[in-house]
Amino acid sequence: MTAADAPKILILATEDCAYPGANSVGQAHLTYPENTFLLRVREPAMFPEKFYLDCFDKGIAGIIVMSCGVECPYEGAYNALAARINRVYQTMKARGLDIRRLRLTAICTVCNRAFLKEVQQMVDLMNELGAPGSEVKATSPAA
Amino acid sequence: MTDNTPKLPKDERVAVYICHCGGNISDAVKVEELEELARRIPGVSVVRRNTFMCSDPGQQLIIDDLKAGNADRVVVCACAPHLHETTFRGAVARGGLNPYMYEHANIREQVSWVHHGPGATAKAAKLVQAAVAKAGNLRALEPIRMEARRHATVVGGGIAGMKAALDLARRGIDVTLVEKSPFLGGNLARLDRLFPTEDKAADLLASLYAQVTASRRITVLTCAEVVAHSGYVGHFDLTVRRAAPTTTEDLELIARFEKAGSPLGTFVPFVGFAPVLPATAEETIAVATGAVVLAVGFRHYVPRQGEYGYGDNPEVVTLTQLIEALAGEQPGGQLMVNGRAIRTMALIRCVGSRHIPGVDEEDENGNLNQHCSRVCCTASLQAEREIKQRFPETVIYDFYRDIRAYGRGHEEYYCGASRDGVLFIRFEPTGRPVVARSPAGSDNPLTVTVADKLLADRELEVPVDLVVLANGMVPGDTAKLVELTKIPTGADRFLLEVHPKLRPVEVKEAGILLAGTCQAPMDTTEACAAAAAAAVKAAAVLSRGYVELDPFVARIDPELCKGTGACIEECPQEGCMSLVDGKATVNPALCTGCGMCVAVCPEGAIEVNGWTLRQYEAMVDAIVAAPVEA
Repeated sequence: MTAADAPKILILATEDCAYPGANSVGQAHLTYPENTFLLRVREPAMFPEKFYLDCFDKGIAGIIVMSCGVECPYEGAYNALAARINRVYQTMKARGLDIRRLRLTAICTVCNRAFLKEVQQMVDLMNELGAPGSEVKATSPAA
Repeated sequence: MTDNTPKLPKDERVAVYICHCGGNISDAVKVEELEELARRIPGVSVVRRNTFMCSDPGQQLIIDDLKAGNADRVVVCACAPHLHETTFRGAVARGGLNPYMYEHANIREQVSWVHHGPGATAKAAKLVQAAVAKAGNLRALEPIRMEARRHATVVGGGIAGMKAALDLARRGIDVTLVEKSPFLGGNLARLDRLFPTEDKAADLLASLYAQVTASRRITVLTCAEVVAHSGYVGHFDLTVRRAAPTTTEDLELIARFEKAGSPLGTFVPFVGFAPVLPATAEETIAVATGAVVLAVGFRHYVPRQGEYGYGDNPEVVTLTQLIEALAGEQPGGQLMVNGRAIRTMALIRCVGSRHIPGVDEEDENGNLNQHCSRVCCTASLQAEREIKQRFPETVIYDFYRDIRAYGRGHEEYYCGASRDGVLFIRFEPTGRPVVARSPAGSDNPLTVTVADKLLADRELEVPVDLVVLANGMVPGDTAKLVELTKIPTGADRFLLEVHPKLRPVEVKEAGILLAGTCQAPMDTTEACAAAAAAAVKAAAVLSRGYVELDPFVARIDPELCKGTGACIEECPQEGCMSLVDGKATVNPALCTGCGMCVAVCPEGAIEVNGWTLRQYEAMVDAIVAAPVEA
């Protein structure tokens, strides 16, 4: 499988914590697969449930939300985010999507080992699961 | 899969600039190919490359294109955005375009430094495609201008803190100097002479102390700690708590101060200056300030029990303890340490520094000190020279991994120590010297055993009277400060600047600056230079009387808003959002731009300026779209 064909993984990384954490991976000249696309966000609590579901509809295979966790500089945002991700899980289940395609985690500015671990786990999982929706086909009676 | 080919709003023209970053990017990414790919992205009107886009010629490319009307928005593909966003926004503004019509693609830290194979160029192209998609959805924004308080707070009363406070005061800025201990002077007060000038630390501190305490612009608070922090550049509100000292270190210093019997305001060696008596009751002080300079210093590494025999043998001391012994009374012609005559001594370098994973033991928090402490090499040579000059009969064995006498005048200490007869013995990091008690009947209490690297690993047994551990510098206790201010720390746990070369005393949060050894191991010269730089940076911001903040706050589309009030319920900032005439409104001064309101608006009527949902949707569309073909 070439990088272009590999399942695409979207990473939403907070500008205060996870995005610098991802940069620290680069500064250490470590490596991770190319089918990962990092978007810098102020705070992922801004994304409504629909955003995640639309991403899967568009062909994003997995999403890692890399937040600041309890270090979040915005009061109440992490709890709101966690609650929202839970609601997305409910919809994903209803649609037959494997909820492991969406993962909420916390990455700090120097968490380069944790970053690599999270990315590799999602890459391995996506290689196993395939494109979003494939699990629905696999379990449908017509399949 | 749906047709997600990204489409820019009509007629918008994006200029794309690709930086080679010397070879940092172009060694892994085929920049010529990337240039061709970028040209084929819909909406791209100009693509150019430069060896260093951040250089003046690189920035001039942007300015010239904008002035020539070649583009109305800009994407720069370069290093991490926090390094040069300000640089490129400035170039965009000088080209006559709104500075917020600019987007950044990070193709160094997140492409060329992490992807080393043939896929690096394709990955970079995808990120450029996504950045262009976002750029197509940018809108002109105006910074929010706020009045700035002409007041700065300096946290830490060592040499860097006093220097920063004084430099700020000289520029007409009022300063509150907050020091946790009862004494000013910091770690420098616990040294004697300073390399390379051989000035007395006490004289240097006395000069600064006199000026600081004489300045009508500087208020000194000792026994004081910042316990709460809010606000933004120009408008920080700090809560400072003064309380009676309780730490063992402070109580020991107070005991030494009292024993010296010196009046307030005079220097007590290895303690510092007490401007007032230590606090006896707790009080809380509100400090309204415009900038904060962090000068909270470092701690000397304290060897673990048993590390090179430390703690188990009274004849094993640290370099800081040796310096204090040398500064004390030394009657007769023989070096005395802890009441023992020293005829032969060993000095072991890199204690608590340059740890190697898998070789060295982590501390109780799982940390290793992999950094070089930089100053202990010359400080060790300085102590050895002093001993050789004052007590020439003393035999000194110097056990080293490397000797890094890096600064101006430092090499002379090494040459001098060699001339003086110090014996240098090199060891491998995996073959550290072993310190053990000598056999009964030996003339010397300790024996150092090591494989001499320069003698083909021949094992040497060196009997000595004293072992000195050249202990390094480790970060001070900054955990509370980091939690309060959210400023990042590096892998070495020192406070982390934005860019070591281009923005060396700034942190990500505007208005907070770093001075001295809270940032990294430094000698006094470097700490004072950093303090002066931090003071100038703070004064430059506060002297204008106003600050401009990024306008990344929530914006309501009144056409779409139906006044459900969901945003008001969700917003964590009291008073930030309200309903006026049935429509939501935002107070930009209170909005932090967290975007929590965006997610709950059923009408999609709210966006955060510069970080809109539509921009993210466009970027996702670009990521899932078919690759651009060359």
